[in-house]
Amino acid sequence: MELDDADGTCDSWARFCSLSNELVGGDGDLSVAVLLAPVVADLCTRGLTTLVRDYFLHSLEETFRNNAVKKFWQHFHPYRNASAVDRIKFCVREHWPEETLSRALEDICLEKNYQEKCVLVLVQALQSYEDRTPKRKFKTMDCSSSLMPRYQLMVSSVLLTTLPLSFPEILNVYFKKKLEELNTIMAGSYESDQLGNHEPYWDSGMDIDGPEVSESSYLIKNIGKVVRDLRCLGFTSMTEDAYSSAIIWLLKSKVYELASDDYRVPVLGCVKKWIQAVPLQFLHALLTYLGDSVDYDSGSSGLKSPLASRPSSFPGIGVPSEALVRWHMRLEYFAYETLQDLRIGKLFEIIVDYPESSPAIEDLKLCLEYTGQHSKLVDSFISSLKYRLLTAGASTNDILHQYVSTIKALRTIDPTGVFLEAVGEPIRDYLRGRKDTIKCIVTMLTDGSGGNASGTGNAGENLLEELNRDAENQENTDYDDHANIDEKQAWLNSESWEPDPVEADPLKGSRNRRKVDILGLMVSIIGSKDQLVNEYRVMLAEKLLNKSDFEIDSDIRTLELLKIHFGESSMQKCEIMLNDLIDSKRTNSNIKTSLLKTSQTVPGQEEAEMSHDVLDATIISSNFWPPIQTEDVVLPASVDQLLSDYAKRFHQIKTPRKLLWKKNLGTVKLELQFEGRSMQFTVAPVHAAIIMRFQEKSSWTSKTLATEIGIPTDSLNRRISFWTSKGVLTESEGPGADDRTFTVVESMSDVNKNSIANERLAEYQMTEDEGESSVASVEEQLRREMAVYEKYIIGMLTNFGSMSLDRIHNTLKIFCISEPSYDKTLQQLQSFLSGLVADEKLETRDGLYLLKKQD
Amino acid sequence: MARGENQEAQTGNVPAAAPGPKPASAGAGKGAEGQSVVRRLQSELMALMMGGDPGVSAFPEGDNIFNWVGTIAGSAGTAYEGTSYRLALAFTAEYPYKPPKVRFDTPCFHPNVDAHGNICLDILQDKWSSAYDVRTILLSIQSLLGEPNNDSPLNTQAAALWANQEEFRKMVEKLYKPAA
Repeated sequence: MELDDADGTCDSWARFCSLSNELVGGDGDLSVAVLLAPVVADLCTRGLTTLVRDYFLHSLEETFRNNAVKKFWQHFHPYRNASAVDRIKFCVREHWPEETLSRALEDICLEKNYQEKCVLVLVQALQSYEDRTPKRKFKTMDCSSSLMPRYQLMVSSVLLTTLPLSFPEILNVYFKKKLEELNTIMAGSYESDQLGNHEPYWDSGMDIDGPEVSESSYLIKNIGKVVRDLRCLGFTSMTEDAYSSAIIWLLKSKVYELASDDYRVPVLGCVKKWIQAVPLQFLHALLTYLGDSVDYDSGSSGLKSPLASRPSSFPGIGVPSEALVRWHMRLEYFAYETLQDLRIGKLFEIIVDYPESSPAIEDLKLCLEYTGQHSKLVDSFISSLKYRLLTAGASTNDILHQYVSTIKALRTIDPTGVFLEAVGEPIRDYLRGRKDTIKCIVTMLTDGSGGNASGTGNAGENLLEELNRDAENQENTDYDDHANIDEKQAWLNSESWEPDPVEADPLKGSRNRRKVDILGLMVSIIGSKDQLVNEYRVMLAEKLLNKSDFEIDSDIRTLELLKIHFGESSMQKCEIMLNDLIDSKRTNSNIKTSLLKTSQTVPGQEEAEMSHDVLDATIISSNFWPPIQTEDVVLPASVDQLLSDYAKRFHQIKTPRKLLWKKNLGTVKLELQFEGRSMQFTVAPVHAAIIMRFQEKSSWTSKTLATEIGIPTDSLNRRISFWTSKGVLTESEGPGADDRTFTVVESMSDVNKNSIANERLAEYQMTEDEGESSVASVEEQLRREMAVYEKYIIGMLTNFGSMSLDRIHNTLKIFCISEPSYDKTLQQLQSFLSGLVADEKLETRDGLYLLKKQD
Repeated sequence: MARGENQEAQTGNVPAAAPGPKPASAGAGKGAEGQSVVRRLQSELMALMMGGDPGVSAFPEGDNIFNWVGTIAGSAGTAYEGTSYRLALAFTAEYPYKPPKVRFDTPCFHPNVDAHGNICLDILQDKWSSAYDVRTILLSIQSLLGEPNNDSPLNTQAAALWANQEEFRKMVEKLYKPAA
């Protein structure tokens, strides 16, 4: 009995084996299925169910591996074996890899379908057995229902274990190509939409008429089929990786394409539209095709949190599935980040053409709001500033202009000024080290004409504008005068309080960044407004003294604006200077009319060569003006007479005040008459004094002329070259080695000869002359005041070797307490020290000052 | 110069309780005393800075005007030519009636300077006078470098070698460690 049973089992098993082999190996013939069922039932009753199942799966696997899988990979052999260069050729080929891929997938899926049917046969056989034996249902049930999943697992594991390395690459290429295709199709409709300016075209779904749409839906259907096949082979995650990376790649290239180096157009909107138009449509179609998006916000209330705030419908899609919303967020974030990185990388250029590039700034602002990667901006911008702007080659003007643009641009991005603070710090530090910073700032403030030769007067205008704007806003702002704001305003201010951004440096108080004020930032470079005012005073003095008319309207306006900003008291001296000019005008005409009257009554005056008409005096209250350069000049007697008459008259009118002439200052308009020609000049009094001597005699040696005019010989030589360069005088060997002879050139031809020869020199001389200023500059003043401390500085550096700026400053504060006690600011000290460095008295190393070794 | 110094210090002293060079002034209030020393040192600093003697210099260290750092350069024509020595000067509240403690900070090979930088110089000990000041101290030490007192050496090796100037110079160079 037992033996018989064993034999029966063997028999049944052998039959099962042959039948199942026939079934698996057979091509589409499922007729053996009928025979298989009783054998399976028999074996099951003998308790061999698991054995049956394992054997069957094993034989399926063998067949699948040997036939279908091998064939499948063979499709891709040419690519796999190709070299890197040939692979590129593959990618360029028109229908590669879509044809290969779809053919291969078709084949393998056919094979798989057949095998699935075989599995079903077995499942049915097992099930029919189970139905008949309800008592063992529990165990066999398990067996039959787990068969299909096990088969699926087997298929994917076989494929994955035999996977060639290049397959993901092929998939990637496939999706890239398909997406590009889709993009071009969509681009057509997208652009026509842009032109037509009507509501999106796909608002009623994908299946509306129009060639592009049907074309694209066909395309998507194809892609969907490939994706479905791939999924059913167990490549789900690989496929998803491939198409998402393709989408990201396409998105990236789209962003790069849209966000070119043109910063005058906003691109963010286009990018967003494009995301809606191409990748989202694609994904929507794909997900619908695959049946993934059936869960139209079905439940999943727990997951709602990040999605609840998203717009609930997309054009043409209706209520989006959760997967689609996730995709949308993911793509937008990526787009924002890409654009932001792109813009941050080019931020320097963007800020260079700031007012025009404000759309790019706006884009960047939106991106940063989304991504929150402000620190990236700060780091990258600071490094590009250091590399490109804060170098010895950049002019202070350019740096200042860029700084102003930076302030404006960053003010847009971040109104609280936190990032500006971080970015501005290196610029400010650098500018403090430059000697001409103050001068440039003052020029930018006051020179509203923007008359820069280089055409960069733009920002200068802007600074003056800033002054204007500040004046307009004055009534609503509380400029460091808290006592004056009324309670209502104070309440409004406190109402509008907002916390600092997360990125703010908690060490620095938030009060000083409440107001991003360009002028305030500019002043903070200089250190104190007093310095700025002082520099302005010097420049104003220079400007006023060189005026030959009394037109000061624009200066008055600028002063008024500055007064609003810096307060009345600090601008008082400047105001007096302007008043001096106004008074001068009045006094001048007063004196002149009275002098003319007297000259008519006094007959002796008529012989004077010049009338008082030609004289205009600028009468200044020297206490309020910056120190004025003086030089003794002996003016021709007739002019001197004129001046003393004028002064006398002034004394009469304005007793007890007396007029003291600064004879070296001012301008002289003169006309030189030669044989048959005349020339007009506007020159300094010294030049005029020189040339007037040649009226008496046509030839002078430099030494005698110098004593005559009362200036040193070298200074005379410097001045007289102005006339030789104009061709009025010629220079020849004089009696001594350093004594030259100058002679008037009378005839025209000589002039031409000379002037051509001297043309170059003339240009040079002119710039020299312009460099001569009538007022001691702020640096000179500082230098004079600091000279006392220079010895202390040298002394301490001799003994301590090297010291930091702070330490020098503090040491001076401690030990320079006798007259004159040390009262300079750190910035003033710094600029003085950089002067000493320039004079090669000191040198700096690692931020420390030390004595320059005297070799 | 030194006299001018003293006068200045005295005029500066007017409000203080104890003017004049009498040592008896120690009897006056300590605070006023300290104050006058500070004032004297300040004016000495000013005079030293403005005087601009070549090769000698000194400056208070940190914020304490009682501790100075001095620098002297070896005079030309001596074995110390081209070297520069750092000194430490410590003044007391009894200054100028007591000399400051002066020490070489830079190692110095010299008959009258020991290995710890202590200096054997009469004006810093028994020959001190309140008429001396920082400047004269520095100048004395500078000249001591070129003209040692070999009768009372602190460094016998140096004193013995002094006769051979060439070898002496070599030793000076060998042991010279310039201040950073």
